[in-house]
This record gives sequence, structure tokens and C-alpha cells, in this order.
Amino acid sequence: MSDLVTLTIDGVEVSVPKGTLVADAAKKIQIDIPVFCYHPKLEPVGMCRVCLVEIGLPMRDRATGELLKNEDGSPKLSFRGLQTGCTVAVSEGMAVRTASQPVKEARGAVLEFLLSSHPLDCPVCDKGGECPLQNLTMAHGKGTSRMAFNDKLKIAKHVPLGELIYLDRERCIQCARCIRFQEEIVDDPVIRFHNRGRSLEIVTMSEPGFDSYWSGNTTDICPVGALTTSDFRFGARPWELTPAASICPHCPVGCNTTMSTRREAISGGRKVIKRIMPRQNEAVNEIWICDKGRFVHHFADSAQRLTTPLIRKDGQLVEASWDEALDLVAGQLQKHKSAAAGLASGRLSNEDLFQFQKLFRKGLGSRNIDLANRQLGGGEIVAQVGVGSGTNLKDLGKGDAILVVASDLHEEAPLWWMRVKQAAERGVSLVLVNGRRTRLDKFAAHTVNYEPGQGLMTIRRLFGLAQVETESTRDDQLAAAAEKLIKAENLVAFYGSEGLTFDESDALAKLLGNLLLIKNGHNHTGRANNGLIPVWPHSNSQGAWDMGIHPAYGPGYAALETPGLGAAQIYAGAASGDIEALYVVGADPVGDGLMADRGKLSFLVVQELFLTETAALADVVLPAQSWAEREGTYTNGERRVQRYYPAIPAYGDSRPDWQILAQVGERAGLEKPAFAASLMFKEIAKAVTQYKHMDYRSLAQVEKQWPDVGGDDLYYGGNAYENGSGLGQQWMAAAESGAVERFEAPDIEPNSFESLPLIQTRALYASGTLTNISKVIEARLVSPTLTVSPADAARLELSDGDVVDVAVNGASVQAKLSVSKYATVGLAQLSGVGSGFVSGTAAAEFNRVVESEKELA
Amino acid sequence: MIAEKYAEEIKGIIARFPNKKSAVLPLMHLAQHEYGYMSQEAMREVAEILDLDPTQVLSLSGFYSLYYEEPVGKYVMEICNDLACALRGADQFVDMACRKLDTTVDATTEDGLFTIKTVMCLGACDRAPMLQCNLKFEENLDEGKFDQLLARLREEAVSEQKSPSIVEKIVAYAK
Ligand code: SF4
Ligand code: SF4
Ligand code: FES
Ligand code: FES
Repeated sequence: MSDLVTLTIDGVEVSVPKGTLVADAAKKIQIDIPVFCYHPKLEPVGMCRVCLVEIGLPMRDRATGELLKNEDGSPKLSFRGLQTGCTVAVSEGMAVRTASQPVKEARGAVLEFLLSSHPLDCPVCDKGGECPLQNLTMAHGKGTSRMAFNDKLKIAKHVPLGELIYLDRERCIQCARCIRFQEEIVDDPVIRFHNRGRSLEIVTMSEPGFDSYWSGNTTDICPVGALTTSDFRFGARPWELTPAASICPHCPVGCNTTMSTRREAISGGRKVIKRIMPRQNEAVNEIWICDKGRFVHHFADSAQRLTTPLIRKDGQLVEASWDEALDLVAGQLQKHKSAAAGLASGRLSNEDLFQFQKLFRKGLGSRNIDLANRQLGGGEIVAQVGVGSGTNLKDLGKGDAILVVASDLHEEAPLWWMRVKQAAERGVSLVLVNGRRTRLDKFAAHTVNYEPGQGLMTIRRLFGLAQVETESTRDDQLAAAAEKLIKAENLVAFYGSEGLTFDESDALAKLLGNLLLIKNGHNHTGRANNGLIPVWPHSNSQGAWDMGIHPAYGPGYAALETPGLGAAQIYAGAASGDIEALYVVGADPVGDGLMADRGKLSFLVVQELFLTETAALADVVLPAQSWAEREGTYTNGERRVQRYYPAIPAYGDSRPDWQILAQVGERAGLEKPAFAASLMFKEIAKAVTQYKHMDYRSLAQVEKQWPDVGGDDLYYGGNAYENGSGLGQQWMAAAESGAVERFEAPDIEPNSFESLPLIQTRALYASGTLTNISKVIEARLVSPTLTVSPADAARLELSDGDVVDVAVNGASVQAKLSVSKYATVGLAQLSGVGSGFVSGTAAAEFNRVVESEKELA
Repeated sequence: MIAEKYAEEIKGIIARFPNKKSAVLPLMHLAQHEYGYMSQEAMREVAEILDLDPTQVLSLSGFYSLYYEEPVGKYVMEICNDLACALRGADQFVDMACRKLDTTVDATTEDGLFTIKTVMCLGACDRAPMLQCNLKFEENLDEGKFDQLLARLREEAVSEQKSPSIVEKIVAYAK
């Protein structure tokens, strides 16, 4: 290959792609050039000088341009002093010395300089044990110190940069990794350097402090213990921790994580989760996670967890044995058979969901199963034209395009937001079709903000425009966007359901499927890096489709001849008495406002972590284990099936969901429960054709990834965990193995509005069963907020800070008004209320309840 | 609010840069002129105008010595005490100046007129000791010349003779 460059490093020859930096080239052949400020995910800055090496370049004869040779025939090299290995790119014939005397001296000097004002409080430092400064000093430091103790800087050691991240000013070595991460990678420049030289410090002025969904990542890449999380700080020493591989349960990205656990006296001798950190998966989350994934885990060891089965006796829920509870549930369900219904959530694992549908369909002969709150349609479309296996957003570049429709990725799937943003910065044409501004707008090539209620129609127009081949100059944004999309070599389309009803989102998936199917030079389906990605509401909504948690589809998308009842009909049936028994697993329809009360149900069983509003009404409550206590698999929005492992022991007497369901099933005439989740998965692989090549072993396979950040190496210590537990497997969409027909998208009349229309938006920190219990992010939870533009506020005669009563379709909620200059004119946005409060884009009424205090003052 | 008071000027300054955020330094001068120093509110105002995070403005004001994060007197005397000046008695000069004004480095005199600061090389080493007073160089100083300078400034302050508006200077500079 012509764009490979060959050089020697300490006499070892290596060939690397053009543009590779010397430090990375050395790393590829296991030669460690130490670095502090350099990080392979960040632009090099050359600030710390620890990576100094000698670099020699081949000499040429000035007259002839010929390479000069030594007497022994080797090329003559010219060495020009020390250079930073992190900023110099390799060149042909280059020779690098990383261990010569001058290099050793320079390195030692830099380390000594850094340590001259370093507190050396390693014995109490969170980073101690996985600290690059410590490691590099051990490896390359002088071993003696000339620290002038009287001149040692004594500065603040507990500076809160907000309630999540603390700064220890003494420990900071001023490498700017944290600042550069916030600016380059996530565009939240809310921390910065202040002052110069020895007075330099990290500061923030945002409100709240260090206002970013990504702040925890800076504590990972900080090469010292200067930045720590309030959650883990002084919590444990790294070497006491036992790692367990996991998958984030909070959104459809499916970030790979590692839970660090410890058995400890202060937790009553229990093994608890001390921290969650990213686990490298370059195809999913690289080496990052968002703060929700990092901090929202305390629900697992919350004292509010259910510990034993509960049975209602004389109107009261009282503790019962498992056998008693399971017998009762099985007996009741069998009694009602086809008048029984089941509602599950997209947070359950594939094993749970598979067993759930099996219990109903095979055990009880009832077809009435659904997700409790199906907010986004299109699963069967995704099964056909979802992104091809092998898709990695990181592979998209110039000439490719990404389309995002009706979704705010920053709030709904943060890691996708980051990776789409980075793709746009690499030259991918980003096209946004949304009802309002989002945090991606800044990076988009084309942004189309449709009028309220016109989302579907806009996509229909886009599809129409994409079909006509014209070269003419198109000054209409939508037309220009259509041209970009259709001409793109690779095209990925994300879609969500913001401002859309379920039916509209379903039609949207079909329209986007058709858009991808347009043949115009490039195939946008059936290939890696092409196809649809649904922004599902939950971590395993995809798995729920795959397992057949749907009234009309069985496992593997097998269409059922006679569909059962869907969630809406089940709720209606519970109220009317047509449904007699209901089994709710991992969902809270009463708390979410989908079900008013237990209606005329004669039997209600709820399987949960907590006594939710629904559970409080139940006849039997079964305590389930959280994801941290058991194994299982989730399938992410890119259809990657990923394994997670048990990290902590079961809480109380709780059991894994699949096991409970199988034990009920056994009592209802099904076979004995499987011994392990892996055997459940074997059953899934048999029933779901898409999963037929997978088992727990194949899901656990790993391969070497770049950059090399985990493990024992000296300079990226404490960064992210190396992935030794599985990269997961993507299942093949139908279009990968055969042609797919166009979809029939129903015509849905667009809405128009006379007064200010309302949509509901999703917030990452929306309050909910899991988030409310995690105290760390308590201050950032979103309470009900209504956001409007200044113009609309004036028209409604409302002002910032007012408490407003928002009435939609007979329901109402009180929300605080936020007037924002960034809000789209002509649209009101409601966030922080139960999902499903507003369906689609709706007419609403706004009435002031309490006048803003700002006004009164 | 500088956004309202200097709407025209701000528009003009921003227009001179291909990228809006590049106008941050002149706008910070403008805000400092308006409020006397870079208060937190001043930083937030500049950030708001340019769609920056206030942290970015804070960082710049911390980096450059000509932005003051604490209130200062009407006349800011920045005395160079870097190497060359130090060799020609800058440190003694600073002591003398402080004694004369009955103040300390970085503090402001009670009448609100003078603030003394020490700074790095201002590029006038051959005329040490030297200082800059409200951006104007005063060179080859000694006690006598310093007395004269103080007398002149006190007079100027009383007669309310305004030095040319810094707003004009900023606008001209940004051109
Ligand atoms: S806080 Fe850490 S990452 Fe940030 S500059 Fe200091 S040492 Fe570097
Ligand atoms: S982006 Fe999603 S999957 Fe990743 S850590 Fe955040 S919530 Fe979890
Ligand atoms: S200068 Fe190269 S790693 Fe810092
Ligand atoms: S050292 Fe004072 S002006 Fe140069």
C-alpha cells in the first residue's frame, strides 16, 4: 500500500499509515513513549514535553538529491535535538530513539518538574494505583527529589466544579485533556484554564457548575487524580475493586461499561457498585459514556428495593414465600387464560422477554401481550432495512450522509449525538428534519424545521424530491437535502417520535425505509454503514421486537394469523372487565398515566424492583433483580446483541425476571426452567432466526482495538476498561440477504393549529423510577418545564418563571415556564413529565397559576 | 447592559470578524470600560452576545493581564518589574510608589484614584524603570518624575478632563 510509511523506532522497523504520530507508531510495536497531554482521541497540543524523543531524518546530497550513505551502506541520518513524539508525524526513513541518554535525561527532567509542585498524596488519591503520573514516575523518574518543601504550592484541594465533579488544584498537571475533551469532543466548553503559570487552575462559570452530560469522562482521561466524581471520590482504592462487564441500561445506544465493585463494611458487609466506567467498544461507545450511564446506578442498592414477594391479604400487601406467590400467580393466570394479558417493558433483557411471551402464548394460550408503552413504531421495517451488520458510525466520512428525523439525540441517546457530531466534523453531510432546533443544528449541512404537525408530510416531500433526478441548482433546503442524501455513498437515517403519534412514527419508519430503497447509484440498504437506526425509548426496545413482544408478531418477526390485543386495548379491557388478569413486568402504567387504576381486573400481578404506583395496586408483587445482579443480553438500536454480567449479589430474595417467568410457566404446564441465562439464550437462538449464529460464547468474543487504552500500559491508565468480555454481534437485516419490497405508508392527515401547539420532549435526566433514586444527579433532574420563545411568551402574556397549567386532551399538569431565545417560535415544548402525556403534536391550553417571583420582585 | 448601550458599536465590531466569537477581546474591553472591571455579570453579558459559555470569557480575562477581575482605581499604573527593569531598580521604584500612595500592590487608594500593579516586560527595557498608566507609557522614571505624574493625574481627575473614550479606541483598533 502506497500510503504506508516505514520508519525505525529504536532499531525496530515499522510501517504505519501516513499521518500517524510518532508516539502512536511506537505504541503499535509495544514501545512506550510516555505521554501526558496527548490522547489518541484528542488533537495533539505538545504541552507537557514528556514525550520528547530524538528524531533523525535521512540526509540527501544537496546537488543530486541522492540519499547519503554511511560507510557501511546504511542511510546517513541527521538528528536535530529533541522533539515531541506526540506532535510529529512519521515520515519515510525516519529513525526514532526513545531510550537514548538525552531522551532519558529530558524525560526525567520533565517528570521532576511536574513533581516539584505535586502534592504526592498518592496514599489518599483516587487515581493512585491506576495513575499515569505515578506509573511514569516509577518507570522513568529519577528516584530522588529536589522538592523544596518550603516552596511547595499549597492550594485548594476540594474545589467543587459543580456537584458532580471535584477539582484538586494541587494535583493538576495542566495537561488540558479535560478542557480539550469538553471542547473538541462534546462541544461543551464549560471548563477552562484561568490565569497562567503556577496560578493556573481549572474553572467553570456555567450554571449549574460544569454543566455537561459528559463531565465524568474528564475524570477518566485526567492523567492524575485532579478530577474526581463526587460519587466515587475517596470511595475505594482501585486495586480493591472487582470489575464486572456490563451494558448501560438507560438508552438504545447500549454503551459497554464496567462496574467496579467491592465488599465493604460501610455497606453492611455487602458487595456494592463503587463506580461505573466505560469499557472500550470502538463500534459502540469507543471509550466514553454519558453521566447518566455513569451515575444512575444507585437504584440497584437502594433501600427502597423490594426484597420478598408480597401478596394482598385483607387489603394489605404482606410478605409471602416464593412458592406461595408463584402458585397463586400461576393459578390465577390459568383460571383466566385468554382473558389474561401481559405488559412488559423495553428495559428487560432478551431472556426475560422471550420467556414472557412464551408464558403467555404457550403456557396460557393468550395472545394479549405488548409493551406497556410503545412510543416508537417501525420495528418490522428496521428488521428489513436497519443498518447493515458491521456498521460503525466512526467509519462514515466525506461523501456520506446522516439523516436525523424527529429526534433530539443529545437528550435521547447521548453517545449517538457525540458520534454523529463527530461524523459531521469529519465531513459527513448531516441533514436534520425536526420540528425545532436541537443541539445538532450547529453541525448540520441542512436543517429543515417543519411547521408543527407537518413532520410526516415533510418527509413525504423529501421522499418525492429524492426520487426525481435533477442536477438543477436547488435552493430549497429540503430539495438540496434530498440531493445530498440520495447521492451519498453511505446513508444512515436515525428516526424518533418527537412530536409524532405512534401511528405517525410508524408511517415515518416506512417512508424512511422507502427513501433508503431508492436506487440511484448507491445502495442504501443491506450494507454496513447504510440503513435505519430507530431511537428507541429504552435500552432493549429492539430486543422486545426481536423476541416478539407484540400483539401481531411472534419471535423473529413471525406474523401471527390472529393478532392479540395491544396495550391500548389491554388498558381499555382492564377498565371494562374484558381483560380479567394482568401481568405487568418492569413497567409502571399507572405512574406513567397510561392506566388510571386497576379497573375491573380481578387479578393484577406486578414484577418489579420497586413498589411502583402500579405495584401498590397489585394482588401479587414479585421482586426482580436489577441488571447489576444477573446476566442477560440487550440488543441496541443498531441491532447489536450485547452481554452483561452479574456484578453484585441478589438484593434480598429477588430473582431474575426470566427465572420468575419460567417458574410461573412451569406451574402453568411449561417445561422446567432453564438453569442459566445462557441456556435461555440457546432457546432464543433456536426460535429467532436472526439470532441463530449467536450464543453466550460468541457474544463474549473480543478482538484487539485501537487506541490501546485499557490494560496495564503506562500512560492511559484509569481511562476506560479494556474489553475482555465481548464486543457483541449485530444481526443481519433482511435486506442483507435478499431484496426488500417498498413499504406501504398510510396517509395520515397533517394537523394545523389555531393556537400555540404543544409537543413533549425527552430529557436525559427526566425523573423516573430509576433516576429519582440516584441521589448523585438529584439536583439535575428535570422537573416539569414548559419552554417557549420570547415572542410566544409575549403573545400568551406569560413570563419566565411563571407556573403554568398545561391542559391537553382532558389531562393537565403544572409546569414552570422557561422563556428561551433558542426556542422555536410557534411551538411550546413540555419536558419532565411522564412519557405519553402529550401524544404527537397537540392543541393545548396554557394558564398561569403562579406568577413568577422575578416579576414580583 | 452593553448590548443595548453600545448596540451599534458591537454590531460594527462583530462585523469585522469572519467568526463572531473572534470579537470577544474587543467586547471584553468595552465591557471593562463600562463597568470599570470584568465583573462576573460583564463576563456573562459578553458571553451572551457572542453565544459563548461565560467560562470561555472568564478564561480569557484570567489569561490577559489587561483585564481586571477586581474593581480598580481610575488610573491603573502597571509597573514593569521584569528582569531588565529589575536590574535598574524597578522593585525599589514599586516600593517608593506604594509608600507615596500609602497603598500596596494590587490595592486601590482610598480616594479611588490609583491602583498599582506589577507586570512582565512591556518592551521598553531601555527606558527602565517604566510603567504604563491606563495604557500610556511613562518612561525613564524616578521619584521626581513620579511626583509630577501624580500631580498631573490628580489635576486631570479634578478638572474632569476625560481622556479620549476607550470605546472609540476599541472600535478603531478592531478595524
Ligand atoms: S484537571 Fe487533569 S485533565 Fe485537566 S488539566 Fe489538570 S491534570 Fe489535565
Ligand atoms: S449514551 Fe445511553 S447507553 Fe450510553 S451511557 Fe448514556 S444512557 Fe447509557
Ligand atoms: S507534549 Fe507530547 S505528550 Fe505532552
Ligand atoms: S523588562 Fe521592563 S520593559 Fe522589559
